[in-house]
Amino acid sequence: MNVHEYQAKKILAQYGILIPQGGIAYTSSEAKRVAQKLSSRGPWMLKAQIQSGARATGHFIDHDAGGKGGIRLVTQISNISYEAAQMLNNTLVTEQTGKSGRLVTKVYVEKYEEVKHPFYASMIIDSSIPAITLLISEVADENILTLSQQKDKILRINLQQDSGISDAQIYQILDFLALDKVYLQSFHDFFGKLLFTFINLDAQMIEINPVGILPNKKLIALDAKINFDKNALFRHPDILRIHEDFEENKRRRNAKACGFQYHEFDGNIGCIVNGEGLALEAMDIIQSKGYGTACSLNVKGGFDKDKIAAGIKIIMTNPRVEGILINIIGGFLRCNLIADGILEASQDVGLTIPLVVRFEGTNKEEAKTILQQSNLAVIFAENINEAVEKLLTRMEVND
Amino acid sequence: MSILADRNTRVLIQGITGTQASFHVKRSIESGTCIVAGTSPSHGGEKHLGVPVFNNVYEAQRQFAIDASVLFVPAMAVKRAVQEAVEAEIGLIVSIASGVPVHDMLEIRAMLKGSKTLMIGPNTPGVITPKEARLGIFPENIHQKGKIGIISRSSTLTYEAVLQTNEAGLGQSTVIGLGDDMIIGTDFCEPLRRFMDDDETAAVLLIGKADNAYEQLISEYYAAIDNKKPVIAFVAGEALPFGYSMGYAADIITHGRVTVADKKRIMRQSGIIVVDQMNQIHKALQELKL
Repeated sequence: MNVHEYQAKKILAQYGILIPQGGIAYTSSEAKRVAQKLSSRGPWMLKAQIQSGARATGHFIDHDAGGKGGIRLVTQISNISYEAAQMLNNTLVTEQTGKSGRLVTKVYVEKYEEVKHPFYASMIIDSSIPAITLLISEVADENILTLSQQKDKILRINLQQDSGISDAQIYQILDFLALDKVYLQSFHDFFGKLLFTFINLDAQMIEINPVGILPNKKLIALDAKINFDKNALFRHPDILRIHEDFEENKRRRNAKACGFQYHEFDGNIGCIVNGEGLALEAMDIIQSKGYGTACSLNVKGGFDKDKIAAGIKIIMTNPRVEGILINIIGGFLRCNLIADGILEASQDVGLTIPLVVRFEGTNKEEAKTILQQSNLAVIFAENINEAVEKLLTRMEVND
Repeated sequence: MSILADRNTRVLIQGITGTQASFHVKRSIESGTCIVAGTSPSHGGEKHLGVPVFNNVYEAQRQFAIDASVLFVPAMAVKRAVQEAVEAEIGLIVSIASGVPVHDMLEIRAMLKGSKTLMIGPNTPGVITPKEARLGIFPENIHQKGKIGIISRSSTLTYEAVLQTNEAGLGQSTVIGLGDDMIIGTDFCEPLRRFMDDDETAAVLLIGKADNAYEQLISEYYAAIDNKKPVIAFVAGEALPFGYSMGYAADIITHGRVTVADKKRIMRQSGIIVVDQMNQIHKALQELKL
């Protein structure tokens, strides 16, 4: 689960990490007021608050934004509201958002901090070790992805939960960044606090891109991204409270409310499966036939007929969807519940597009009987490959 | 032989009195699993489904010399349950619940290091040796006793894999769901090592998926060992667009974006037979002429 930059920074500040002074603004005039309060003469940073990286190199698509990205340095107070207006209520597309981008509803106004030697730092869980891994790179903001393939461009330090960061590890970081040993204390302080935050809040990732060094040698977080483990939020009600889910689309929120996972893609086939592996398998086969998946609903663990019906309706009412593929291997989940769900959903919203079902496992025959007696135009298949083929054939006829 | 569990494995159920546990324990007992004890706080001294219940693992272990424990406890209680089982030196833990916090898993992996315990899961259907032992929630009616070992990173695709071995007429020696979660107790390597030493297993089927580096680890392992049986693999998720939720850091961890196609290439280079679709598995198995 992600939070916005300004929220992440506030959290870091609570743990004693330095951040630039700043304030949030929902309108352009508010942005100007915040800027004036922060500093009488600037410059200021103006930052679009969407939960995505690479905002600086992104572009706006709804209305003209002067050809600039979502992170801007503003030197004149008179330009603040003008630049803020270009970003607000405009959709920002970055290399991490996908084509549809994210709507900017607020901007974060910060006092510009003069720093030297900005660098990239992040902590993330490397699951294959497993360990909390600290990543350091010289280049902030540039293409870190390309750098990641070159071994010596990124320093990796594996940390354990109980042992903290050692002086030797800090020396390693200073050496890597070609910095003098006088920074030992401030680096120790910064990364010690970062690790403490990471562990204490059940973070899966904290990314500071970049960290800057202030004239007094202290380190400051000029940007912040935190990803929290959703399975550990029961330990952090304060974070759950600040989480805004309106960045997620409505269908996804509805699916979540039913207890199911829901993802959208660029194709036109809607999939309903029970299990992540089955979802991936269906997508792979659909792609191998030259088609694409529109959305995928995972009803794993479902046992409530009404929730299953509500989930199926999400797929049936998605305007992208031109055909539905249902692949269920009943184990814990009983196939007949899915059949009941299909019936209920069809009665509510109508079934006007081809629907192919493959049932296997617990109560398979019972499920088939329910659908056969319903007079719904459901097509049956014995395995997933056959199901995809039958669906594509029917969709072509419908065209 | 088989690996991890057979009809003589003495099994403990942690959290035996829960609804899900009760449903599956009953099925496991009916299919021959030797379930000797269960634990449930404050139910010690009672009997549940004919099985004696203890307050803690230590007491059960002292009386029954437990070989394996299946955890039906909820996700937030998994860390403590594992700790109890590790302290009692139980050789195998199978943890069913999904949603164990990642930081708990880091602590669990630290506990397991240097211990006598091998952990399967969390978020797994479990371990099954057909007709002998069912440790978990597998639909046992689809399994056939045979000679293919299965190790899978995806719960539901495990069932598809089982059906493929049936279609090939070869059945399964033991089936292991490693678990769907980001950090799991054991990756492919240790179960594969045991399959290589198991007389009843003639070949091994691996089911991998898009995230993580486990497929690279098993490729390195397989390339390095001398005593090899054939290994067939399928990796799901070729069509999945790259996940951006974790930003740059996630890509750096994997040294750039490792796609499913990359994984398949690495596996093939190590001598593993890789199929592109699940339904090609039975043919690939038949071609081994086992």
